[in-house]
Amino acid sequence: MAASPEEMASHKKSYTAVGIALGVLTCLTLALGYWHPFDMGVPGLDWTDITLGLVVACVKSSLVALIFMHLNHERGLIYKILVFTFCFFLSLMVLILFAGSDPIREAFDAVRTSLS
Amino acid sequence: MEIPYEVTARRDTGLYNAKIGVWLFLASEVMLFGGLFSAYVFLRVGTEPGIDNPWPLGINVQMVFAGFINTLVLIASSVFVVFAWVALKERKWNVFRNWMIGVLVCSALFMVIKSIEYNSKLTKHHDVKLTDNSILGGTILKDEDGVRTDRIRFDAESVTVDFTGGLPGFDSQIAKADREGLEFKIEGSDETLKLGELDGWFMENRRRTLRGMAEMRKKQRKGTWDPETDKAPVSKATLLASFRLNANPRKISSRDEETLNLRDRTVVKGKLVSDTILFELHSINLQMVPLQDQENVLAWKLIKDDHVKENVLALRDEKLELVRDHFEDGVIPVKTLQGPVINYHNIHDEPGAHGDGGHDDHGHEHGEHHGDEDHGKSDAAAKEAHPGDHGSEDDADHDHGHGHGDHHNVVVEIPRDQTSFVTNHGPRAGTYYAIYFTMTGLHGLHVVGGALVLAYFLFFGKRLFLKNPEHLANRVEVGGLFWHFVDLVWIFLFPIMYLM
Repeated sequence: MAASPEEMASHKKSYTAVGIALGVLTCLTLALGYWHPFDMGVPGLDWTDITLGLVVACVKSSLVALIFMHLNHERGLIYKILVFTFCFFLSLMVLILFAGSDPIREAFDAVRTSLS
Repeated sequence: MEIPYEVTARRDTGLYNAKIGVWLFLASEVMLFGGLFSAYVFLRVGTEPGIDNPWPLGINVQMVFAGFINTLVLIASSVFVVFAWVALKERKWNVFRNWMIGVLVCSALFMVIKSIEYNSKLTKHHDVKLTDNSILGGTILKDEDGVRTDRIRFDAESVTVDFTGGLPGFDSQIAKADREGLEFKIEGSDETLKLGELDGWFMENRRRTLRGMAEMRKKQRKGTWDPETDKAPVSKATLLASFRLNANPRKISSRDEETLNLRDRTVVKGKLVSDTILFELHSINLQMVPLQDQENVLAWKLIKDDHVKENVLALRDEKLELVRDHFEDGVIPVKTLQGPVINYHNIHDEPGAHGDGGHDDHGHEHGEHHGDEDHGKSDAAAKEAHPGDHGSEDDADHDHGHGHGDHHNVVVEIPRDQTSFVTNHGPRAGTYYAIYFTMTGLHGLHVVGGALVLAYFLFFGKRLFLKNPEHLANRVEVGGLFWHFVDLVWIFLFPIMYLM
């Protein structure tokens, strides 16, 4: 059924606000990657910069998911589906940790050299 | 019969059918892209500096501004699609139509910018790896005939084709100027062959040869083959003609000054004209050359620029001293001895500037490293801290290759025998590029698919709007969910691929 004008007006306001916020956060992402004064931690790309960049990306994606995709007031069944998705996705990322104990890495670390 | 719960929600779940369906679909899409992101992280942290080909930093090899614009375009399209849904809820068809047109314009703009980026990578940026593992970054130039100089330019006199091999591909590499009216004379006969008849003639002879060989094998199996009277079928033929061949080196298995042996078993005889690559130099990547070997890299002989060499070696000596002091027991990890990446223009134009201590257009110091676990400090910081594991990123060209307005572009001539690998910045250039094209290409296909669905709602939705506007609103909501997901993927792709 058609939504009430008041309901839609408040929706429009929140969509506009989120759209602007996303634009600002995108500029922030670019500044973090590009602009020297925003270079946190050690100069150059390091784990601080990577973490910050990913945090900003997570904030942006949360805004899209919650507001644009209406997840902030969705039904329980959708959340149940997404819990599984989240767990599987996390497993994919965690799998990489197992590569850290790959024996071939230890062999590389053990390469010796000396300077003449 | 009407399908239940297409418009109204089910009482138990509170959802209409399409919404559950699309969320299940999006869950599967999360796994698809999640697998790719996971593969990217796995490949990246698994790259061994000094051993594997260096992993370039996106910020130095990508058109970052184009990626930034694309991000804003997709965000705008996400806003537009949600406003289009609101317009349907308010039962305003014209407003919906306008917002949806905006979405389609944004998607088209995204794909145009993406195609410009791809074209730049595939045609304007190249890497030439020399036999000492140094890599020159820049652009392969064309010669005075308009032929790319990574081609082997060869004046052919005869071509011997093998009917048991593949369909010859040399004809597509004949120079344009020689193609018109080109005729081959078949050796040992009076017949001639036009260029356009070559494939048909080859296939006919191939069928004849293969038939003959089958009959020969049959006779041999039966024991009725007489070598004195029975003749093996002719499997080769030589075509005589004079033409210029601009051969693709990847299709050549071996060659010398007078012969080209192609992979499809064609042999071209004649005279080598030139195999030197004319290269507009943008960067010199010494990441694969140990510090102690940098004095004699081939790059110095090619660029003939003592100024650059002195600057780079001075920086190298500083680093060696720091490394010696730090690792007193003499046991030094390979990655610590990794060489720098030199932006040629920066080091050439700034007297006394250090090889990777110069600043690029982005205000970042060169010699920035990529985030390896023990990394990583730029050389400047390394002097203050400790000369830790240092891996400079690839600094090939930023925005791109042509933005050095104040610089004189250096052109070097690279002899082919000093190269081990020549490539554009396509998927074959390295793991980074392969995964970049895979992920952005797949994302681009999703953009196209989503745009087609939304276009369908725009152009064919009026009837449904008049019949049941809530149904159309639900469909647009569901299509919008997919569109937001596509935007969401790009929100992660942009920083990961372009800035890290």
